[in-house]
Amino acid sequence: MFWKKKSKRVRHENKEGNQLFQKSKDLSIAAVKGLISNMDDGELIEHRINKERNITLIFIRTLIDVERLNESIIQPLKNCSEDMIHTCIASVKAGALSSLDEAQKLMMLGHVLLDDGKGRWWAVPLVNTLGRSIEQSEAETILYGPKDSFTEQIDQNITLLRRRLPVTELKTEKFSAGYLTKAKVVLMYVEGIANPDIVDIARKKISKINIDMVIEQSNLAAFMEDHIHSVFPQFQQTDRPDQCAYSLGLGKIVILVANTPFALVAPITFFHLFQSPEDYIHKWMVASFLRCLRYVSYLASTTLIPLYVALTTHHYQVIPLQILFVLLESRSKLPFSPFWEALFMLLILEIIKEASLRMPSKTSTTLGTIGGIVIGQAAVEAGFVSKVLIVLVGIAAIASFLVPNYLLSKTNTLIQFAFLILSSLLGFPGIVFGMIYVLAHLNGLSSLKQPYFAPVAPLYWRDWMDFFIRAPIPWMKKRPAHVHPLFKWRYNRGDDH
Amino acid sequence: MRAFTSFMLLLSSMCLLTGCSPFASDNTVEEIAPVTFLSVEAGGEKGKLKVSTLVPPVMKEDKQFFSTNVTLLEQGRRSFNLKYYREIKLGQLRMLFIDEKVARNGIVSLIDTILTDPEVSPRLYLVVFKGDFEAFIKNRMQQQKDLDYYLYRMFKHYEKGKQGEITVTNIHEFMEKVYSPYSDPYIPVFRVDKDNFRYEGTGFFGNGKLKGGTDKNQDQFFQLLNNYHFLKNMIITPLDVSLGEVRSRVTTHVNLNDHTVSFNIHYRGRIDEYRGTKDLDRQVSIYELVDELEGYMEEGTVSLLKKLQELKVDPLEIGGQTMAPASKPMSEEDWIKFWESAKIKVDCHFELEPLSI
Repeated sequence: MFWKKKSKRVRHENKEGNQLFQKSKDLSIAAVKGLISNMDDGELIEHRINKERNITLIFIRTLIDVERLNESIIQPLKNCSEDMIHTCIASVKAGALSSLDEAQKLMMLGHVLLDDGKGRWWAVPLVNTLGRSIEQSEAETILYGPKDSFTEQIDQNITLLRRRLPVTELKTEKFSAGYLTKAKVVLMYVEGIANPDIVDIARKKISKINIDMVIEQSNLAAFMEDHIHSVFPQFQQTDRPDQCAYSLGLGKIVILVANTPFALVAPITFFHLFQSPEDYIHKWMVASFLRCLRYVSYLASTTLIPLYVALTTHHYQVIPLQILFVLLESRSKLPFSPFWEALFMLLILEIIKEASLRMPSKTSTTLGTIGGIVIGQAAVEAGFVSKVLIVLVGIAAIASFLVPNYLLSKTNTLIQFAFLILSSLLGFPGIVFGMIYVLAHLNGLSSLKQPYFAPVAPLYWRDWMDFFIRAPIPWMKKRPAHVHPLFKWRYNRGDDH
Repeated sequence: MRAFTSFMLLLSSMCLLTGCSPFASDNTVEEIAPVTFLSVEAGGEKGKLKVSTLVPPVMKEDKQFFSTNVTLLEQGRRSFNLKYYREIKLGQLRMLFIDEKVARNGIVSLIDTILTDPEVSPRLYLVVFKGDFEAFIKNRMQQQKDLDYYLYRMFKHYEKGKQGEITVTNIHEFMEKVYSPYSDPYIPVFRVDKDNFRYEGTGFFGNGKLKGGTDKNQDQFFQLLNNYHFLKNMIITPLDVSLGEVRSRVTTHVNLNDHTVSFNIHYRGRIDEYRGTKDLDRQVSIYELVDELEGYMEEGTVSLLKKLQELKVDPLEIGGQTMAPASKPMSEEDWIKFWESAKIKVDCHFELEPLSI
């Protein structure tokens, strides 16, 4: 009696959604006219050819290449004497239409609908390829190495990958996601290397997506991730074609989404997110050092401030005496406890970081200066925080930027706050419990059903060649075991699979 | 929810299994006074101890010397807390200065008390002092603000460097030797007065009580025989020579049948300074000096060993030599009886490093 009675809810949403876009009318000029009614950019042109036939062109002006309309369709049709007019415009591939649904879909994808006056309809693709040119990646910049990056044009992105992997085994499967956006999604993999089970999982996950809008790759990843409540990304998101090509060659899959310059790469491991394209450009010892530095930095960025709180609140006895002198001196006149002091500083830091992302680049310099003064000087002089904490916050903030994957680098903020609370309540044991929980959580994650914590658990010794240490590339003769490639050898061994 | 439940189960089971307390003690650094040393002297009344310390340990405030007469060491801390606005904590206790008189009565129970405090680090330096430590602290604390810290750095330096200048013993080493068979602990002894805090030598303990100690000269031999087998600088005034970087290799042999303990010591060092009459450019003179050095070393070593016999202590752990795989180990009492009456044979060899001139 205390429970709110659930009313029987009819699934209106889906039905509405489907009904909204289902047209059962016959294909006719009147019906197509109805489609473009109240659309300012919807155009209907009637054109007479051979003094006896009227053809009708219907299209969305903003979706087609208007400059090509005249030379590709109107001019060839002027002198067309053929009965089958699509042969006159052979320069562009025209397809016959049979239903209003199909006509509507193609029109909205940048096709010109053509009625030949005899009740036959054709769709002529004149897609407007308006978009930005290939530019340098801003999300993952490297000093030495390829500079190109993906754009919003999916075909252009596929071209960039095909140029790097010019083999017929590179397969592309097309899907459509979102009944409003109808975003083109392309699943790419190298046949004969990528495990068919993994490809099949990806295929099924993409097919099952039932939502109105898939605007960018993260929308897609949200539906494809095995664990949606985890803070850790289970897909690598990159705008670098070289990264994608390398991943494809290792047996992974790449998913491209139209109108977004980022691709999804899977299956990945937690440790994969610490790898940078530059790792393979540097000499192996330098690359290994840098990689280890990233792991240490990530650990430092998550635990440095909680450690400060644990030490200054509970474990003064393990602080070296010299540092204790500095801490006591620094903290003697502060109004806040170490926990509130650290929380205050971390929140300020996050606010500044978030603001600097949203602000235009010209004002971000001002923001940096204000942030620096507020954090570095004013907070100390006002007696809000200690100098030691300022130094630690600075180190933790810089350390968090060493992680090449932006999504992973953002997870440390949440982990840091959780550790902060635990360290304030329980001291070191709190941080240890927190770490055990994070490790157990990571161990339970998966990316496209493949273990996320590999090669540690399960243990794949083969993959340790490209783990903490980036072994010399000639030594890495096998593909990573965690992706279960069909062909494990990276060099040509004839038939040996 | 399931993950949260699992986490809470994991947390509670770990706490229970490891014996961790679910309550973390609040030690906010600005609210506590982690003292760096305690000095323990005999109190006015019989059985009483006079415990002293300096607070605040590190802050830039006027230092205060706290002293109280107590029966139990813990009483001292409680007494300090009652008259000071910060809680005295022993987690950063780095030095324990013990009066010679207290040391002669035994310090094991005192050290046990400190060791039971889980906050106290085993790297706590033990020092025996002779003289008025209170006067020294009171006099110097006005001139040197961080006096206690500098004293700690001194011990840390000599322990870390293993330079053989002074003996440094921490509480862990001391107790390990107390409870090990055929092993007696030793502690540095300092003479202290109003103005000076001066190293005097090494104090030897038997059954947890201070039995006696070396003088400055004998201490050099002790450093070479046992402690670090190294002396950065060895001054030999009778021979007008100063040796540098002296290292020793000691081979000990106990012969139960002959009732003899023999030492074969190989010294190696270089001449740092020579003010004698010999012409060291001549090979013959060098040989003469080496012979004299060997004689001096033998004499000094024998003198030290005789002293150890008199004190009935074995800080060199020679008794361990009596153990054999298939024989019953000698009891510690039997060993000390053997040791105090054993004949000593010392054979020294000195190897002079070539002069760099």
